[in-house]
Amino acid sequence: MELSTKFSSQVPDEENQRSSETIQYIVIRLGEEQYGIDIRNIETITRMQHVTRVPKMPAYLKGVINLRGVVIPVLSMRLRMNLEADEITKATRILVLNLEQEGNVGFIVDEVKEVVSLNVDDIEKIGENNKEGKANLINAVGKHNGELISLVDLNAISLEG
Amino acid sequence: MDVSQYLEIFLDETKEHLQNLNTRILELESDPENADTINEIFRAAHSLKGMAGTMGYKRMQNLTHDMENVFSEVRNGTIKVMPEMIDVLFQCLDALEEYTDNIQSSADEGTNDNEALIRQLNDILNQDAAPRGQDKAPEKQEPAAAGSAAPGGNKWDSIRLDSSQIAVIKEAQNQGKKVYGINVLVQESCILKAARAFLVFKAVEEVGEIIVSDPSAQDVEDEKFDRDFTLIVLSDAELDAVIKAAESVSEIEKATGAPLVLENNKNAETEETPEPEEPEEPEKPEQPAVQSAPKVEKPAAPAPAAQTAKTDGRKPAASKPVVNRTVRVDIEKLDALMNLVSELIIAKNSLVSTSSQEQSGGSNSSFNEQIEYLESVTTNLHESVMKVRMVPIESVVNKFPRMIRDLSKKLGKKMELYMSGEETELDRTVVDEIGDPLMHLLRNSADHGLESAEVRAQRGKPAVGSIFLDAYQDGNNVVIEVRDDGNGIDVEAVREKAIERGTITPEQAANMTDKDIIDLLFLPSFSTAKKVTDVSGRGVGLDVVKSKIESLSGEVEVKSKLGEGSTWTIRLPLTLAIIQALMVVVGDEKYAISLGSIQTLEDIPPSEIKLVQNKEVIHLRGNVIPLIRLNQVLDVESKRSEDENLIVVIVKKGDKTAGLVIDELIGQQEIVIKSLGKYVKQCKFISGATILGDGEIALILDANALI
Repeated sequence: MELSTKFSSQVPDEENQRSSETIQYIVIRLGEEQYGIDIRNIETITRMQHVTRVPKMPAYLKGVINLRGVVIPVLSMRLRMNLEADEITKATRILVLNLEQEGNVGFIVDEVKEVVSLNVDDIEKIGENNKEGKANLINAVGKHNGELISLVDLNAISLEG
Repeated sequence: MDVSQYLEIFLDETKEHLQNLNTRILELESDPENADTINEIFRAAHSLKGMAGTMGYKRMQNLTHDMENVFSEVRNGTIKVMPEMIDVLFQCLDALEEYTDNIQSSADEGTNDNEALIRQLNDILNQDAAPRGQDKAPEKQEPAAAGSAAPGGNKWDSIRLDSSQIAVIKEAQNQGKKVYGINVLVQESCILKAARAFLVFKAVEEVGEIIVSDPSAQDVEDEKFDRDFTLIVLSDAELDAVIKAAESVSEIEKATGAPLVLENNKNAETEETPEPEEPEEPEKPEQPAVQSAPKVEKPAAPAPAAQTAKTDGRKPAASKPVVNRTVRVDIEKLDALMNLVSELIIAKNSLVSTSSQEQSGGSNSSFNEQIEYLESVTTNLHESVMKVRMVPIESVVNKFPRMIRDLSKKLGKKMELYMSGEETELDRTVVDEIGDPLMHLLRNSADHGLESAEVRAQRGKPAVGSIFLDAYQDGNNVVIEVRDDGNGIDVEAVREKAIERGTITPEQAANMTDKDIIDLLFLPSFSTAKKVTDVSGRGVGLDVVKSKIESLSGEVEVKSKLGEGSTWTIRLPLTLAIIQALMVVVGDEKYAISLGSIQTLEDIPPSEIKLVQNKEVIHLRGNVIPLIRLNQVLDVESKRSEDENLIVVIVKKGDKTAGLVIDELIGQQEIVIKSLGKYVKQCKFISGATILGDGEIALILDANALI
């Protein structure tokens, strides 16, 4: 009895430690650059589909789609980051994020590449001073297999551009 | 024990009881002698008290308790219904409503003790009780205090015993059995008082026999007692054993007792009791005493002493209610729903079997049949679900007679409210929102509309002003009319006021029709009341009404004749969730326009378009209608060439019409409205979106916003 409780209490401890050290990110591609988005905020990933345009909206707000009976807005990640307009290819995906304030919001990305686990030690926060331009959506940079992945700040990515 | 799960029921029922009380007390005011009304009031107050007590809302319980005392005296005929009393009672109801609101927003009743009100209630009681019961009062003060302090006097001595009970007691005493009076006090925090009491009964019955209980066993079981109850017990055992048995039950604060001396019982020997009493109200003898006792035992609260009913205690409005809104549903409606769902399943199964037949070479006609069947089921299902969401507007308009009564007193004008169509049903969400606008309009009629008594007399109108509130269904709309026989809107006064305020220039004013001028009233901060009163005149009325009703996809209109009165008409859609819409194409995009706002569809050759003040208009059956080219509004390229005939959808908003130019018609369709979410709210003329059969989204155009 005693033994088993000891044993079972150890396992979650170990798990907790491990998960506090690494965070899983979904790596997406926009043009040549790679960005990482915390996997915990991702609701689903869908193929590109017809987006219904909503008039009088800022350019980066591409319109709305039907996600399982719910109407959700879709934004262009590229335009949001002041990059060139999207070029829809077979690899284009809509990444649906669950944001605290706005609920589900879709983002059009060029490609969804992989899921990586980044060690907390490999993540470097970007200071306030360095945030400018598109970088204001990036709050950290992660190192993975010698490549750099910009980590998107989900609080900043939401509404106002 | 956690009572939060009952909070919803508690709130629902409390509101029902409060409404009932409001209505009944109004009745009582006009018919003070009606015994049925008084009984009904008493019952409602009693249940309220019980519920508040069960939920642990002490302040609410205290207030209702004192109200109940007053009702009880009225019922017994010892107090006459007086206008001042009605006023106080209404104030109490307001205070109770405040408690309820607080509970709804924060699960806490607030800290307002309403001592002033309780004092007034007691004054009412004392006026009558004092001369009558002075001899008993000193004696009974102590047992009365038992409710809040320790039990002192021998409560069992004031129990009314009938002759058979006395005989039993005497016989038992002759047989050498002991007769005890026991008073049991339940802990204040106890929630299931009735259950505890029941356990006490059982425990005591193990050592003896309970002859009398006050309140009666039935009442105790129904929790119709405050915190203590009294028993007369026959037993062979010692007093201590009986008391111990009673105290062995948990949550019993204290049991006290003594051998019963029959001679001490005030009510035992004599048939004439000193005060009239009804048998089903056994706790009554103590009540006058509670009231005549000085008010020291009321819990002293940290709140300032001189609080009145309305002064404070309002929680910030922004806080989210702690309970969800509920709809009470007639079980029959649910049955119908269940039936339809089972039919839907059958329809689905038939489709499955048809499609498998199809593969093996079945016919196409049975497939179509199934589709038709499915369609009829879904239509019925939709109707049923809508019905479930529908509630009569009664719940909202019921509070208005009371409000008009208060206004009548406050404004010193005589008026009467006549209501009809309270049973008209509307979507719950609409019913919840419609109360405030209606209240504004009624206040408006009472304050601005109705003239003072002298003016009415001069004009040969009846002294009592009439306000009418009529509701009825009109097609897919519900119409609510607020009408008065007062002064009507003085268009010239409004015009002058508007000019004076700079809302419009004198030149503009000259060109405006009376109707345009009246519409100015709906602008923010526009009030024509000469004086700012408590009732209206702060200029926050009509614009709020308008915006609220428009947010419910409704519209408000006013017709008025100077000197004869005005009529405010509110038109609301039956439901907000599903509408009939016309599907149209603009450019290569599909849009839906609510059928409700569409008048006609027209085919217009380009040659008929005229320019007025550089705007495109068409002449249609004697009317000049401005054209709105939707492709320009929506920023898309039109697919049609310049010289083609235009397809124009004529839409109407109130008296205004406009022609929306579209590229193509698809047809009429029932659509389910989906919210676009906060993200896309900024677009004014898009009221929502709908999902089409192929899963794509079409936006819903709000014709009202386009005009």
